[in-house]
Amino acid sequence: MNRLTATAWVLLVALVSGGVIAQTVVPAGDPAKGSQLVQMCQGCHGIPGWRTAFPEVYKVPKISGQHPGYLVNALKAYKTGERSHPSMRAIAATLSDNDMAHLAAYYAQAPVQTAAK
Amino acid sequence: MSGLMHLIESCAGRRAVASGEKIVACAWLVTITACASSFAAAADFEAGKKKAQEVCAACHNMNGISTIPDYPKLAGQYPDYLAKTLRDYKSGARKNAIMAGFAGALAPQDIENLAAYYAAQPAALASKY
Repeated sequence: MNRLTATAWVLLVALVSGGVIAQTVVPAGDPAKGSQLVQMCQGCHGIPGWRTAFPEVYKVPKISGQHPGYLVNALKAYKTGERSHPSMRAIAATLSDNDMAHLAAYYAQAPVQTAAK
Repeated sequence: MSGLMHLIESCAGRRAVASGEKIVACAWLVTITACASSFAAAADFEAGKKKAQEVCAACHNMNGISTIPDYPKLAGQYPDYLAKTLRDYKSGARKNAIMAGFAGALAPQDIENLAAYYAAQPAALASKY
């Protein structure tokens, strides 16, 4: 293999693997910045046992401790309308990619016990 | 539940032209459907565990704590949310190429059993204020 071909191969491999990695890498989120955005989440996700009221009744999922990549994907899917829930769609529509990363980083931290009643 | 909503909508749509009898029949149908949907068979934890081994564990693990960041942790999640999620994947209301295949093969009772199994695993998730 001559030098030029070898270089082309290295470039090709770098491009392909770079592309694959780029799809799964989550933009770095800052939990501290996320904590400043959570007021819109707390009313439902902060209350153990809280239920959705519309359009179907079930308990709002626990998200603290969840993988941040999954949380970002969920928010993006709500924003694009691919995943439908009226409240979540409205909220996600207001979030930038960075906001989503910060929120995901905040919620991905180890679950904190909520105050006992 | 979406079926119920359809029924209510179709009843409302017909109201303008329907006779009183038809309205009463519709009301009965709605009531019966609502009752049927609120009495799902009790979940079978052991059957859920067996199904989890066959279908879910390769990605979500038996303890519901997936090691792959794109796949959510399920351990300790609310069972009604887990069941709703599986029903939505099955119906196509929630779109995911991978989950559509798995959830599509589950019977309604499998869904209840799996939701009960993963909800009962030591919690990796919590509500956080």
